[in-house]
Amino acid sequence: MSRPAPATAQRLARGLVAWSLAWAVLLVFDERMELANKALLLVLSSAVAGLWWPAWVALPAGAAAIGAFNYAFVPPRGTFAVDLHHDAVLLATMLAVSWIVALLMARLRRVAAHERDHALRAEQLRELGDALRAADDPADQGPQLLQALARATQAEVTVQLAAGAPGLEARTIGRPPDDEEDAALRLCLADGRALGPGSGRHEAMGALVLPLRGRAGTFGAALLRLPAEPGERGERHAPARAQAQAHLQALCDQMGSALERVQALRHAAAAREAAHAQALRNTLLASISHDHRTPLATILGAAGSLQEQGERLSAAQRRRLADTIVDEATQLARLTENTLQLARLESGAPVLRADWESLEEIVGSVLARTRRRHPGQRFKVHLDKGLPLVRCDAVLIVQLLDNLVDNALRYGADTAAVEISARLQADALVLAVADRGPGVSAGDRERIFTAFERGPAAGGTPGDARRRGVGVGLALCRAIAAAHGGHMTVRPRRQGGSRFELHLPLQLAPPGPDDAAPAGPAP
Amino acid sequence: MTLSVLLVEDDRDLRSTLGAALEVEGYHVACSASLADARARLNHADALPALVLLDLGLPDGDGESLLAELRRRGPVPIIVISARDGEGPTIRLLDAGADDYLAKPFTLGELLARMRVALRHRGTVAPPATTRYRHAALAVDLAGRRVQRAGQEVRLTPTEYRLLARLVRQAGQVVTHRQLLADVWGPEFIGHTHYLRLYMAQLRAKLEADPADPRLLLTEPGVGYRLVEPDPD
Repeated sequence: MSRPAPATAQRLARGLVAWSLAWAVLLVFDERMELANKALLLVLSSAVAGLWWPAWVALPAGAAAIGAFNYAFVPPRGTFAVDLHHDAVLLATMLAVSWIVALLMARLRRVAAHERDHALRAEQLRELGDALRAADDPADQGPQLLQALARATQAEVTVQLAAGAPGLEARTIGRPPDDEEDAALRLCLADGRALGPGSGRHEAMGALVLPLRGRAGTFGAALLRLPAEPGERGERHAPARAQAQAHLQALCDQMGSALERVQALRHAAAAREAAHAQALRNTLLASISHDHRTPLATILGAAGSLQEQGERLSAAQRRRLADTIVDEATQLARLTENTLQLARLESGAPVLRADWESLEEIVGSVLARTRRRHPGQRFKVHLDKGLPLVRCDAVLIVQLLDNLVDNALRYGADTAAVEISARLQADALVLAVADRGPGVSAGDRERIFTAFERGPAAGGTPGDARRRGVGVGLALCRAIAAAHGGHMTVRPRRQGGSRFELHLPLQLAPPGPDDAAPAGPAP
Repeated sequence: MTLSVLLVEDDRDLRSTLGAALEVEGYHVACSASLADARARLNHADALPALVLLDLGLPDGDGESLLAELRRRGPVPIIVISARDGEGPTIRLLDAGADDYLAKPFTLGELLARMRVALRHRGTVAPPATTRYRHAALAVDLAGRRVQRAGQEVRLTPTEYRLLARLVRQAGQVVTHRQLLADVWGPEFIGHTHYLRLYMAQLRAKLEADPADPRLLLTEPGVGYRLVEPDPD
């Protein structure tokens, strides 16, 4: 482990400074200090030097200092002889204290270093874990793993990610491996076990190779080109080294599990997408076979009749055939619009051309459109005063409302007016279309929003051309509502009939121009 | 006088059907299947056609270059024929100076109505530059700055009046959001569509019998607004 500690030379220098200062004081104040004080000063400097010096320097240094002290200050001065008995005790005590202090300091330093390593490792694991969790694609975090490993070992690292789920390709991050390294990486990927120095396998190799393991396999491997062991590291004993390696493995495994998680997610997403695409394809096929054929057959019949029998038909008959062709073609156009729009909304993320729109205008344009097709139809429209603008794709909401109105005209009672209303609820705008038709049974209320489902009324009157071919209409309504973050509901009405509602989430409209009246229709 | 129409449409069947129908209506119709062909035809003809029907999504482009060329050469009315999905190119062409648009599928009646309005505005058949507008109960006199409904003077704020006047000048034709915002509020207000919503609501409240079911100030969802075609004099 690298640790943020001063380099060896610097630490030795600091110890030397401490000793030198002590000796300078001793020599300068020689005359004015008693021997006991001098001895204390020396013990102090020995303790201070012990802060920085490793035991193997501090112990002999302590002995040497006390020898020198004896020579310089203990009478008879200038010799190593000791006259007085208590001076000898003093020297022995000094030596013992200075050694004990040096040993204690060394041990303390080792414990502190160990703690620091531990904290550093935990911090590294946490950082990498956070980065992996935050990443959409953990493979993009390969460089981060590489950095973490490199910081922990001063090794030059290469990370190799295995190919996996769709969209996850094999990738090499860092210096490309040479042939031997490549073989080692592949071996590690294949059997999911570490190799290289300290791993128990291929100990003589220059690099350590660690697998990126998940629960169910190996998702890559990291190659650490360890620097030549410096002298200081020689002192590191096996447990420390095993610990360091366990940490490196933990870093790698964190990446491995993240890759595993993403692969599982990707596989699931791909399966979901395939199922969705299949469902969409079925819907489109059903729409074409189910709903498009009938109007086409009618058009073809009418057109063929005009072509073959034109001269023999009366003007009124020709007129009726032409009307049929126009009506059925219009119907076919709507079906095609609905089917295409549903396919567009259901295939991936739809692009909305959202703008601030007024429900009043949306309702107005649907009314204008419907009136062209059904000139005699009555409508009851009620829009709450002061409705806020709503952020939506006007073309889609118009299409939705148009389908609801069309649905009401198909299934509603012929004589009753179709009711359109808009109101503000707690946090939603509700746009509703109500009819006086046979209603939708409780069991069908969810089903009719699925493509190709209709209420029983349609099934009961198969010959009624007006009542066929809703097909994708309500399914499209639901898709449009969902694309806007809203939803559709259908409810029975008290005196018979159904009420279809679009709930749109409310957003805060931008401020209007200064001279405008409040939003909504003025009184 | 026979009016000549240039029909640029790549679908052969639609081209021949429309061409025949317009001939029956008394127009002289020239057809092109591509922008390049249309350009060549324009360069070789002695005079510009009276009207151009331009389909979007031709094999060689969206027609913006043809539009620019036509605009350089004279005030030819241009009606864009667009598919319903994707208003983007339609709006671009309208903003660039096309007169009106028609979404496929459309009926012959709708096409003829649009052509009639476009020809009137470009001054080919009737006096240009509408300054008076009358439809049902609504009468607008731009010269006198007067707006009347069922004979009663209607008081409009200056902004409401500018908005109405802008629509009157192109009565019967669609005016895009962008054009309205730029002409009524100024170019820096393009994008403030919510201004338009508020003022249209105010105008409708003052001019329409039922603002929720407008008969005069029509909305073209996603594109712009259209003041309904005036009554024939």
